[in-house]
Amino acid sequence: MRNIPSAIDAIAAIFKGYLPRIFQARGWVLAGLTLTPLIVVWVVMIFDSTPNPARTSLELYHYGYGQIALPIIAIVAAPSCISEDLEQRTLPLMLARPAPAWTLPLAKGLLWFAWCAMWLTVTVALMPFVGLDPYSVPRKILALVLTHWAQLGFASLLLWFFKRGTLWAILFFYIWDPMVRVLPPALQRLTFTHYLESISISRYSGKAVINLFAQIQITTPLWLCVIILLAIGALAWGITGFRLMRMPVGLAGRETEG
Amino acid sequence: MSVIKLERASLSYGHVLGLSPTTFELPDGGVTGLLGPNGAGKSTLIQMVSGLLPPSGGEVLVFGQPPFRNPNVLSRIGFVPEGDRFPSGLRADRWLRMMGELSGLKGKELKDAVDRVLELVGMASRSRMAFSSMSKGMRQRMRLAQALLHNPDLLILDEPFNGLDPEARSDLMDKIRGLVKQNVRVLVSSHILGEIAQLTDSILLFFRGRLLAEGSVVEIRELLDRHPVELRIVAEDPKAVARWAVERSNLVALRLEESGAVLAVKNPRDFFPVFQRAVASGQLSIKALDPLDMNLDAVFQYLTQDHG
Repeated sequence: MRNIPSAIDAIAAIFKGYLPRIFQARGWVLAGLTLTPLIVVWVVMIFDSTPNPARTSLELYHYGYGQIALPIIAIVAAPSCISEDLEQRTLPLMLARPAPAWTLPLAKGLLWFAWCAMWLTVTVALMPFVGLDPYSVPRKILALVLTHWAQLGFASLLLWFFKRGTLWAILFFYIWDPMVRVLPPALQRLTFTHYLESISISRYSGKAVINLFAQIQITTPLWLCVIILLAIGALAWGITGFRLMRMPVGLAGRETEG
Repeated sequence: MSVIKLERASLSYGHVLGLSPTTFELPDGGVTGLLGPNGAGKSTLIQMVSGLLPPSGGEVLVFGQPPFRNPNVLSRIGFVPEGDRFPSGLRADRWLRMMGELSGLKGKELKDAVDRVLELVGMASRSRMAFSSMSKGMRQRMRLAQALLHNPDLLILDEPFNGLDPEARSDLMDKIRGLVKQNVRVLVSSHILGEIAQLTDSILLFFRGRLLAEGSVVEIRELLDRHPVELRIVAEDPKAVARWAVERSNLVALRLEESGAVLAVKNPRDFFPVFQRAVASGQLSIKALDPLDMNLDAVFQYLTQDHG
């Protein structure tokens, strides 16, 4: 009887095998994307004669990271999870192995999630230096890391299902998500921003909000936010893996679907 | 029990038929060559057998089971695809270890397997190189190495000789012969008869998505010999060439041109020695001999008409 690797073994093998990739260009770009807003704000505050650290740090956290940097990080990292293998045509070699195919996107996703989560944690841990309340740091780390988990899975799913997946991800993150301020309460739960703010117990209302359409912002309990964000990520990896199990991927790539 | 069995298996890429309904069985042991020009359906067949693509119709069984996403079958197959398919930015030895782990190898067994295949393909001293720094021949060796990690019962090679220099080609053939001696069943594709003929007596001949013929190299050669070959003989006196040619039993057709004669002859392997003797003895005076359609494509065209 031949050895067939378990799902855990397969995930561990892919995680270890692709580990060097995070120390290459894309990995450092992601690290840079994570740290840059903090460093910029830090430098600006040094030269600003009338600083308002509490307000600035909240703006940085919610606007700089929650609305701008976090989606960019997801969009930059997502191709490494599975669609890149399809484009580079390296997927067939993996799929010709007895390991469960669904573990491939999950394992690579976990690798990039772990890398980005580490840098996000470091970044938020440094935010008290620009005025963030140190007692709020743990929840803010939790909020950014969980939102990144869900956004990375969601962006990977879009890239896997659609040829213009990046465009759909950009539209969702930068058009739909900021609309949370004008969405009715039930629809607010369909945005990542809502969960980020609910976990952080803080909110940043940008100057561009049109008061005429502004809605009361609801808050979801922490435990439910955690479950929902974890579930979105898990569901996204699950759907991607399920499709990979069913979808014929030949040597020529996606076009071999017959 | 047959290792590979296709029962009216076909594959369509959308509206394009990649492989027409095909039926054959390959018994255990030895090498089988898939022969055919580009686009003949060899790679399609190989992808179905190696479990990458499920058939659109019919049935593909490998070791008695459908191979598509079937770990019991995939654990017994080693697959060497055509072309460079390595992830960028990874080192060869790390990547090999990962592929071994994905085949169920662990610990000492994994380490021994990696060392063994690197030694076998002659890459032991260069295993820490990145794929991007490797030559084409070295990458081909790594492709073979990853397929042999888990001691497969069936090794599938898709156009493995493409782009290799004669020495590397000969080396790969020796390795394949060595594996066959260890009871590994080998399925290898090529568009060059000579390559396949050096490895095996068992050939499946494909053209335009159809299995045209199945048999030994001798049987396939006889099939090819029945194909009239066109030869242009450039001579000062084309009529003298024509007079000589009409007395030959191999002649199928004759056409006179300004600078020579175009002959269509059957069994060219019988015809050429006779022709050579006539030229050597001065019976025929020629300036040049130009085979017009002795390429494999022409043969396949003929075979298609024959079987159409």
